Amino acid sequence: MMKKNHVVESITKERMVQLLASGKRLDGRALDQPRNLNIETGVIPKANGSARVTLGNTLVLAGVKIATGIPFPDTPDKGILMVNAEILPMSSPYAEAGPPSEDAIELARVTDRGIRESEMVDMTKLGLIPGKSVIAVFVDCNIMNVDGNLFDATSYAVVSALRTAKMNRYVVKDDKAVATDELIPVPVERTPVSVTIARIGDKLVVDPNSEEEASMDMRITITTDDYGNICASQKGEASTISPEQVLQAADTSISVGKAIRAKILEATS
Amino acid sequence: MPMIQRKQVIPGDVVAKGNYRYGSYIEKRGEEYVALRVGLAEVGRDEIKLNPFTGPYLPRTDDEVIGKVIDINGFGWVIDINSCFDGFLPASFVFGRDFSPATHDLSSKFRVGDILGTRIESYERSRDPQLSIRGEGYGKISSGEIVKISPTKVPRVIGRRGTMINLISEKTGCDIRVGQNGVIVVDGSPDGIVKAIKAIRLVEEETHAPDLMSKVEAALGGGVVGGN
Amino acid sequence: MAGTKKLIDENGIRLDGRKWNELRPIKLQVGVMKNADGSAYIEWGKNKIMAAVYGPKEVHPKHQVLPDRALLRCRYHMAPFSVDERKNPAPSRREIEISKVIREALVSAVIVEDYPRTAIEVWVEVLQSDGGSRVAGITAASLALADAGINMRDLVVGCSCGLIGEQVVSDLDDTEDKEGNGDMPVAIMPNLGLVSLLQVDGVYTRENFQKAFELAIEKGKQIYQMQREALTTRFFGGEAQSTEVEEAAE
Repeated sequence: MMKKNHVVESITKERMVQLLASGKRLDGRALDQPRNLNIETGVIPKANGSARVTLGNTLVLAGVKIATGIPFPDTPDKGILMVNAEILPMSSPYAEAGPPSEDAIELARVTDRGIRESEMVDMTKLGLIPGKSVIAVFVDCNIMNVDGNLFDATSYAVVSALRTAKMNRYVVKDDKAVATDELIPVPVERTPVSVTIARIGDKLVVDPNSEEEASMDMRITITTDDYGNICASQKGEASTISPEQVLQAADTSISVGKAIRAKILEATS
Repeated sequence: MPMIQRKQVIPGDVVAKGNYRYGSYIEKRGEEYVALRVGLAEVGRDEIKLNPFTGPYLPRTDDEVIGKVIDINGFGWVIDINSCFDGFLPASFVFGRDFSPATHDLSSKFRVGDILGTRIESYERSRDPQLSIRGEGYGKISSGEIVKISPTKVPRVIGRRGTMINLISEKTGCDIRVGQNGVIVVDGSPDGIVKAIKAIRLVEEETHAPDLMSKVEAALGGGVVGGN
Repeated sequence: MAGTKKLIDENGIRLDGRKWNELRPIKLQVGVMKNADGSAYIEWGKNKIMAAVYGPKEVHPKHQVLPDRALLRCRYHMAPFSVDERKNPAPSRREIEISKVIREALVSAVIVEDYPRTAIEVWVEVLQSDGGSRVAGITAASLALADAGINMRDLVVGCSCGLIGEQVVSDLDDTEDKEGNGDMPVAIMPNLGLVSLLQVDGVYTRENFQKAFELAIEKGKQIYQMQREALTTRFFGGEAQSTEVEEAAE
């Protein structure tokens, strides 16, 4: 099928490139400036935790569900964490119903990697009976409106939902895990922040909107933790990046990520 | 002076009863005339009209539309005209009757992403709209900023005999092209473009406000003196 | 029928404090999504549902094209976090059936003949579910269609009624739906006075069947007034007005 969204008007792209040369963007942002981020938590009371995140016009809803499960054989005493994302057909004229697209699967996996590798959740605290029973945390994301940079919006929604999630405390009785009525937070240790950077012409821009994504030839997502460590990354699109630009992007992610982390902490504390 | 009744209606509302001539977006059920869209109905002495507030652009022959090239095949350009059907501009309309895919390079004329002012040459329910760029002012639009509005608001943005669009154009020094499909290209100085787009958005927001013309004039005039 | 006593007490008051013929709180909002051509959001009891419409648009794959009318597509889908136990995101048989009956409930209102060879897509996403999510979805979807400016004969509005024991009740919530004795979702086109969705489960006497059915229609008309309000608020900033003006004044 034809994807009209992949065609930016030539006159728009020309102006975009002209402006970028003087350090500006079509929507008035600086090159390293993300769009307005808005986080609302607790929006789905039936979920253990939830967050509605808007990044510009991109809208993501994340919900956490917690249950007990059987641990993986190689990690018998660690809990299970699964992040999943669906790009809803309502999210844009180009999205389609049906099994998850390649893009949706990449999105879910990149988001999952950032959360997992940063050790945001202390999985050892989610073990119940070694080899038999552990706590399983599912985070599902509904992408409801697409205007570029799903990676970051989804990641912020997952982090915010997990930070505010509550689960039953479990006790082990007669070799069985039993839920008590006591609600406790999910053992969150860190706040990973994903920052996505697009290259248009030879310029790097933070948090591309859909117009910019349609004009970019390369995209890189870098996730950093509270200590300025880099814990996950994904380069995307069919083009290359120079080693210098990788390092430049890393520095940008660390500095931009710091400001965003402060916002997430404020909205979820 | 004959009076007309203006009614805000939603689908299913009875606009009037009796015997009237009636236009689009109205269905006759027995004695009743029923609205099919959200909009403003006008009941005159013997005629009912409904001005819809929202709805898609459906192609009509001879409409001027502004479109975007989204694909090129061997025989012409596929143009997104902000409608349920893509328009097609045949290469023979551009290169002439001796067009041959072997000798003519279509992308030397228009590339994917180019914005074109076009006219709907023909459109039937059973065939996709065919576009033409014959005539003065049609063809590639090489600069300006694109604004999209609801196609149902196009008549108001143009105004009676072009009064609204002329006002905005004069006050901002911008060249403004309005496609019936709701796509508008505004070209001029950076400040002029910003003001013109604001004015267009104002018309879009307050389409049916009384005395819209003076509102727009005030908004545009105010910008110059720096007041309200 | 052990649960019956708990669901409704001797004074006819239900678990959440409602009388037999009362509705849960309903909140409707039209035009809430940026990309969609039309959209509406509904909160009905604990239901939180988003409906969005795209179209008319080109039909893909092409072989599904209808030469004389629009193809109405509809998907009712539940978010994995919308229910107590996490739901697998892949569409279940229940969701596929509900998608079909919602489509059939809406298609009689849409003038599909006005949009030949096109597709009109209706996406209903349940973000949090409670009893009556299909009728809530229909109620929101019909507003999203009107918001998109698709020609419609009438709006479509739904309400579910049912049985607790032998008592007919309106608008079952989740617990009443699961533990009660019958559920009857009904959708109507209120101005045309026609029924476009009817499903029944449970065992009804002839009398109770009629009572529940007529109650669903009555309640539907009540919800229709809320639909009107949501739509006129979006487009006219308040109630629909009627004025007289001189012909010359535009």
